[in-house]
Amino acid sequence: MIVVHELSKRFGATLAVDRLSFEVGRGEVVGFLGPNGAGKTTTIRVLTGFHPATSGTASVAGHDVVKASLQARQSLGYLPENVPIYPDLRVVEYLRYRAALKGVPAKERKLAVSRAMDKAGVEDVARKLVGHVSRGYRQRVGLADALVANPPILILDEPTSGLDPNQRRRIKQVVLDLAQEHTILFSSHILAEVQDVSSRIVVIHRGQLRADGPPEALVQQHTARRLVVAAAAAGATLSACVEGLAGIGEIEIDEGMGRATLKASVAAGEDPREAVGTRLLAAGVAALEVRLDLPTLEEFFYQLTEGSDRAEELALASEDHE
Amino acid sequence: MILRGAWVTFRKELWSYCVSPISWAIAFLFYLWRGFELQELIRGYSYYRGDLDQFPTATYGQQSTAYMVLFVPALLTMRCFAEERRTGSIETLMTAPVTDAGVVFGKWCAAAAFYGLLWLPSVLVLHVLEYGPFLASDLAFGPVAAAYLGMFLLSSMLLAFGVFASSLTDNVLLSAVLAFLVSLGLLTLPQKIASQVGTLAQNYYVRELLEKLDVMRNFGEWFARGLIDTSQVMFYIGGILFFLFLTTVSLSSRRIA
Repeated sequence: MIVVHELSKRFGATLAVDRLSFEVGRGEVVGFLGPNGAGKTTTIRVLTGFHPATSGTASVAGHDVVKASLQARQSLGYLPENVPIYPDLRVVEYLRYRAALKGVPAKERKLAVSRAMDKAGVEDVARKLVGHVSRGYRQRVGLADALVANPPILILDEPTSGLDPNQRRRIKQVVLDLAQEHTILFSSHILAEVQDVSSRIVVIHRGQLRADGPPEALVQQHTARRLVVAAAAAGATLSACVEGLAGIGEIEIDEGMGRATLKASVAAGEDPREAVGTRLLAAGVAALEVRLDLPTLEEFFYQLTEGSDRAEELALASEDHE
Repeated sequence: MILRGAWVTFRKELWSYCVSPISWAIAFLFYLWRGFELQELIRGYSYYRGDLDQFPTATYGQQSTAYMVLFVPALLTMRCFAEERRTGSIETLMTAPVTDAGVVFGKWCAAAAFYGLLWLPSVLVLHVLEYGPFLASDLAFGPVAAAYLGMFLLSSMLLAFGVFASSLTDNVLLSAVLAFLVSLGLLTLPQKIASQVGTLAQNYYVRELLEKLDVMRNFGEWFARGLIDTSQVMFYIGGILFFLFLTTVSLSSRRIA
């Protein structure tokens, strides 16, 4: 339903999106993830026809966003990050206006507006001026706007940004309900939300694609796990039991009170617990705990984004130092 | 899709004008000013026993008319796109399945329609003046109709420029100042230029161009006398289309890589 191919967008000297390619299939809910300034909003603005691409192509529901912009825009409902307001219109008037603008026939408009208000949960503010509703409601009014013409594709740009936890929860529930009938591209920098809502995530950083797949699989494939071994023994003994095993990386030892705790990074796909247990037995060490901590999406995200930045910064700093 | 976008935008914008405090402030100032001017005029006509055939023409040759032509188009159109850009609503507007041209045309039509509504009571007042305790005489409405048409065409062109100015910035005040300066320039500069270019003014093309652009003189020679010149009408319609085209280009430039 959404195809982005080698898409680049340059603003003067800044390359906001760099040869980005990904697809969103029919009925999928895809989380579009990246830190602030990663190029998410720019990509979305190209998809919605608001900005042109510098190079590459993008299509929505089979319509090229440049060559068949109107048809592409007809197929999607868009919720921008900051829902803009017309303060002099009531919520229901605003939605009727938007429905008319999107070509909903006059006879069906009333029904379309009430259905969208119902889905987004804004009936109780229907008669309020758009300028007078709270930020959470404004976000939902924006969502009702995206839904009013019942488009097959929804593009939601940071739908929960600036909301309190309760409001975020409500929006998340609305998105989950919508997932039954719509293809959704959901951008966010809040990982927990994306994990809860999306069947697949696309991670971008500095305008480039960093990962694309189901969250759990990505975490397991790309992120190192952590082995934790605690025993009533000296740190050196524990270290000797773990060193040299397949997939074991950096080791940290924490000693005190007659016991030691060892933490070691483990390469993706490896599980050294059994081997560690055997070695501990052979060494006659009474193990208190042997566990493998699975990485969280947050760690995965950190490694893909901030982590890589940090590594680059350190490399640059050491070059400068030299 | 052009028509749908234009019609929907027209209705929404006209409604916004009707409920906007700025619109009411403009109308209040105009009719307060107009009321004093009319009172003075009636007093003058009854004192000097002036020719009542000239009365309708005299009613629009007033300072309040200059206010309506010079300031009001800039004030009405300053928010058209500048406000949408400032609040960010331009994003939802331009990502809706409507053409840029449709939105531009709808916004201009709404501004022109509201501008026409602002003038309407001034014609009704003239009609009321025909009765008993006021002038008790039939007024010549022919010249009035031509003059109002001329004023409306000129103002509509200035409204079109105002819409264009509004598309260039997200600063509402800057948009109004730009539209006002261009309106002022259009009304005063051609005469000044004609008097400054010396022998160049004798050149046929230069003379024709300056004459066509001299809207004040043309207005006085044609519309104010009750005459409708189709070339003048075409000049204004051409000006309106030109500025609306520029506005569409200004909006579409965002979509050009």
